[in-house]
Amino acid sequence: MSEHDIERLMTVAERPVDSESALARIRERIERERIQPTIATSGGSRMDRPLVSIWIKGLAAAASVALIATLLTVSGVAETIITLFEPKTVVAVPITSADLTGAAGLTAYGTLTWSSPPKPYDVPDIATAEKATGMKVLVPSQLPSGVSVANARYGVMDRTTATYTFSADKTRAAAALLNRTAPPMPANIDGSKLFITGGPAVVQYFDDGTAPKSATSAGAFASLPRLIIAQGKGPLVQSDGVTVEQLQQYLLAQPGITPALAAQIRAIKDPSSTLPVPIPVDMATSKTVTVQGVQGVFVGDSTGLGSAVIWSKDGYVFGVAGTLTESQILAVANSLH
Amino acid sequence: MEAVAALRAAGAAPGLTAAFEALFRREYPRVVGIAQRIVRDADEAEDVAQDVFVAFYRKHPADAGYAPAWLYAAAAHTALNAIRSRERRGRRETVHTLERDPAVDPQRSAEEAESHAEVRAALARMDERAAALLVLRHSGLSYEEIAAALGLRRSSIGTLLGRAEDAFRREVTR
Repeated sequence: MSEHDIERLMTVAERPVDSESALARIRERIERERIQPTIATSGGSRMDRPLVSIWIKGLAAAASVALIATLLTVSGVAETIITLFEPKTVVAVPITSADLTGAAGLTAYGTLTWSSPPKPYDVPDIATAEKATGMKVLVPSQLPSGVSVANARYGVMDRTTATYTFSADKTRAAAALLNRTAPPMPANIDGSKLFITGGPAVVQYFDDGTAPKSATSAGAFASLPRLIIAQGKGPLVQSDGVTVEQLQQYLLAQPGITPALAAQIRAIKDPSSTLPVPIPVDMATSKTVTVQGVQGVFVGDSTGLGSAVIWSKDGYVFGVAGTLTESQILAVANSLH
Repeated sequence: MEAVAALRAAGAAPGLTAAFEALFRREYPRVVGIAQRIVRDADEAEDVAQDVFVAFYRKHPADAGYAPAWLYAAAAHTALNAIRSRERRGRRETVHTLERDPAVDPQRSAEEAESHAEVRAALARMDERAAALLVLRHSGLSYEEIAAALGLRRSSIGTLLGRAEDAFRREVTR
């Protein structure tokens, strides 16, 4: 079959569309069904796109949470440039909705500047992903029934770096907006920098091709795919000399950090190498599991429909998630080789 | 804007914004065209386009820069979902098309219907991304537009398109 044949088969007799009638129809439907937008801001998220971008959303959310958690857990000894944080193990930190709404974002304490912002993209296969990242990417030898490598897609995020500069002025302004008074930022923290490196990372995304998707709802494919396997260099945080005990003390004393959350973070035995995995207690449950011979965190959502396991090994952070049972997720995780 | 969202959440009457209407007028024909290449029926393609715009309206701001890319991808995937579920239910649509399209020349009409059914079946069996890629390309999207819609690198499109055409050939001639 020639290119011309394909062209001919793919051609359809397009009927001229009446956009005004169609607009009237959609207007009538939106009013009749009282359909309301759920968006909160007009900016939206650039990441908030369907299809392959599903995993980008997950990555972005995980990265920002990990970054904040990292800032809250830094500990160690100050030198000129010191590695504050490099994950070797993971631990669950249960958080409540009060923790989420109360804690200020990164922007409240300073400025985050990306020197190479995360730009995830798709690649055709594992070999290309390995070439792009220089990583040996682990692949599953066991997949749940119905999930096939034939339906896999692969995404890559190159190494990204950012610099975070603390600012006493910004902290005061952010607190003032909330009618709160922030504890004064110690002079040696004001203006000090953290150098944050994340990635590279590779994501394997499997759909079974037969998932019951509604033919009438474009929103259906915004749901979780059957299986996602992510592998990346964990976040590395280095400092240009800030006194890190003071940094932890300062950040945990901020308004909005609940005493319970602060206590849990202080209780992490080795904060410079433990990746905290925030678990929203009202939406998910978690427990410690052994995966690939190391300690990992298993997370199940409260509906029982989705689950995930996260662990750190050999310098990488791994995550396996999907609309699968605990035993299926753990079987996939343990089959990675 | 948060105030607007709060008002809406409080039950204020929903309505289309000028930005949404402008987006609709601009993109509706193309969204229908993409869907029609898959479902091979003009009325059904318009139904798909309606669903796509409603889904967009629910969750996305009309002035988002990614809006066209989102709509094109959603059109392809929603239409592919539609033909897949139909393929699973059986191949009743061949008859359906014949009945709905009484062309002047019955033989030609039958041939066209058969070719439509073949293409639908082939697209339904293909990997979803490959099928979407092929359809978007034949709907007149540039490599840049396809890359944006499917979250791919511009430099990968040529290779992936070649593979998608091979897969399409295999499925049509199998």
